[in-house]
Amino acid sequence: MSVEIEFDSSWQDDFLHRIENDGPWGNWELFKLAIGVENHLVIPEFEGLMAPSHLSNLTPLPHQLETAKQVIENMNGKAILADEVGLGKTIEAGLILKEYMIRGLVKKVLILVPASLVTQWAIELNSKFFIPAITQRKSYVWEQCDIVVSSIDTAKRNPHREIIYKQDYDLIIIDEAHKLKNNKTKNYEFVQNLKKKFCLLLTATPIQNRIEEIFNLVSLLKPGHLGSESSFYEKYKRDARSLNDDEHLKELVNKVMIRNRRADTGIEWTKRHVETIPIEFSAAEKDLYESITALKSEGDWLQTSSFSVMTLQREACSSREAVFYTLKNMLQKKENPTPAFENQIQYLIKKVEAVGQNSKAEKALELIQKVNDKVIIFTEYRATQMYLQWYLKQHGISSVPFRGGFKRGKKDWMRELFQKHAQVLIATEAGGEGINLQFCNHIINFDLPWNPMRLEQRIGRIHRLGQEKDVMIYNFAIKNTVEEHILKLLYEKIELFERVVGELDDILTKLEFGNIEDHLIDIFGQSASEGEMRIKMENLSSMIEFAEEMKKGDSHAAAGNS
Amino acid sequence: MQQQEIHNFLLNYFQANECPILENHLGFITVQLTIELDKELMNRPFYWHYLEKTGGVPNPMILTFITNKEAAPEKLKGEIIHFGSPRLHQIFSSTKNLSRYIRLYENHPYHNSQTPLLPWLCMNLKISYQCDRKRDVFKSIGLQLINGQMVENFHDRLQQITLTPKIPDYSFTLSPLVKPKSGMSRIEKYLRSVIESEEHSWAEEARMRWNQDLRLLDHFYEDIEEENESYETEKKALQEQYEPKINISFINGGLFYLTEKAI
Repeated sequence: MSVEIEFDSSWQDDFLHRIENDGPWGNWELFKLAIGVENHLVIPEFEGLMAPSHLSNLTPLPHQLETAKQVIENMNGKAILADEVGLGKTIEAGLILKEYMIRGLVKKVLILVPASLVTQWAIELNSKFFIPAITQRKSYVWEQCDIVVSSIDTAKRNPHREIIYKQDYDLIIIDEAHKLKNNKTKNYEFVQNLKKKFCLLLTATPIQNRIEEIFNLVSLLKPGHLGSESSFYEKYKRDARSLNDDEHLKELVNKVMIRNRRADTGIEWTKRHVETIPIEFSAAEKDLYESITALKSEGDWLQTSSFSVMTLQREACSSREAVFYTLKNMLQKKENPTPAFENQIQYLIKKVEAVGQNSKAEKALELIQKVNDKVIIFTEYRATQMYLQWYLKQHGISSVPFRGGFKRGKKDWMRELFQKHAQVLIATEAGGEGINLQFCNHIINFDLPWNPMRLEQRIGRIHRLGQEKDVMIYNFAIKNTVEEHILKLLYEKIELFERVVGELDDILTKLEFGNIEDHLIDIFGQSASEGEMRIKMENLSSMIEFAEEMKKGDSHAAAGNS
Repeated sequence: MQQQEIHNFLLNYFQANECPILENHLGFITVQLTIELDKELMNRPFYWHYLEKTGGVPNPMILTFITNKEAAPEKLKGEIIHFGSPRLHQIFSSTKNLSRYIRLYENHPYHNSQTPLLPWLCMNLKISYQCDRKRDVFKSIGLQLINGQMVENFHDRLQQITLTPKIPDYSFTLSPLVKPKSGMSRIEKYLRSVIESEEHSWAEEARMRWNQDLRLLDHFYEDIEEENESYETEKKALQEQYEPKINISFINGGLFYLTEKAI
């Protein structure tokens, strides 16, 4: 077979010129050194990894090296990296990038990550991999720098978009790629139109549970790998949930996806200690809570409002500020409120005003003082966040707020402030994603998220590679309230905290029960009453128990076969 | 490259460039850069431009390189150098740039009679076999410019010979019968024929991977009838990803005048 041979002869004239003019000639020692250098830089084999010998500041873990090798040797440099949270997907991507750079196969690189991670990516690539990655701040960066880290939201907008399309990228890395699961979005279209010679999609969320998402993500990486859209949906129902029932499809997906699990890595993780801290309401707080609960018997009051009683109940468990904010909103948003409605709200506002203390905040303060170390407090409510910051300051404790809506620079700044100056970081839900805080090992869940899956993400911020201490998680729950009931149901029944969610998902998909996240969102977001919630939860936990037994049976069968 | 090798390499590099070595201990070296090397390595054109315009006293930098953190004094300030460090790679490419072409004579012991020296063209090259993966082979070829004899591993053979940049006494050079330019193309032709006779299963496999992905791509877009831009983009991306190619790049080379029995 003939292969095109390119012979570089650009040096010839230069050489001949020197022969003609008898010099200038180089130094023999340097000449020999250059050959010595070249012998060190030659890549002896198609296979294997050169990168580790170039990385003195990094000792990659076995699963990370194996992943890099797989991607380069068996997946031809196009892969979905879907490790569980905290296993070091960034390291894997960095290894692959470095390997390609050393081999001279990749020069121009585009790295698209969530805004809050842009700086962190650039720092890690520079410090751990000696890769001169630049964060995108000016539009000329696209053309002038070889390796650029940017947020996808910036990149997809003009003038950036047009400039980016003109660049000739060798490798494209996209972090949090599960956000591209919908092929109707602008982000999806933007990425689809990028030229992808080598491409890495990083995601922590297992995508194997929704057939449509799998199709979209894989087609982005390798169009046609799962067939054309029409042929794919002919074969698999669009709303099918699990691909585990189809061995063929599963095999196909595994050809482009690597998913390492904590349990498989053989690494000793620091422990998680979960402690539920029951808290008593003060009399006034209890009165507010009970007045809200009493609304349920008020008949059609509920239906006419888009705010459920349970929302208010949960807010009452967080802070009076959170309740007040919602009540105010209810008044403002209601068109032509009846006098009865207004009276009702005013009545509740009076109750709010009667509350003089926050029992949870007091407990949090006590705990923070006892721990005497860095603490992250998570709350669902902005109002609570602001109140807590004020309250802690009254007691001489410095804190910084953190929200998903912060701009990239502000997020970095807040993280830095927390690391260097403040004792407490108070984050709202959206702030939980995309920031690594492994220098801290205490989390207070001040209230519970609507989507319990987010608890894993919260914990994942600190329980990851690099965490050296055991992780302490304190769950606050007010006694005899909906909060305590949820906590009981959720965490004592399925022990969600101590497990890694992925395992549960595996069990469930095996039985085609669907995605646990969907179940939980449905249970905690849609249930009209605690009773309904309890029944649904009972169902889910018996499903899980059943699944676990099946799994045990499976592994016995497997042992028997070997 | 082990840390000790790196240490020795740095030492050789700076010595070859006539930089005074101020300190040379286990774990670190300190060098006084010359003006030329400061310009080569320190990337401060404005300083040098300013100095030349104002006629100030040039003050090239002193650099300390730590090649072994454990062995070097604890509080020593300097750049930590390891195989992956950008500074080392900068010095690597500087090494190659500073001495691309060379002309040397054999420093022979025959002082009784006039000794003829035969001209050899030496070319050191790198052959890169590239598809979505890559592998290199280093080649050092010598071509005698009188009788056309071609020798592989020429650089290794040169290591056995004492060489000098000035023509030794009692020596004269023979003029080449083969012109250097045609010597270069003989070497090119030789390499091409060597490569063509090799087995290229790597390229066949790459083409198979390429075709496989092309088929998938065609299938993906078969429902869409009109001209599709992303189809063309993807197709081009596949070509760039898989198309097997062989690149021969030049590292350095020179003219060597050697005695008849040298090679």
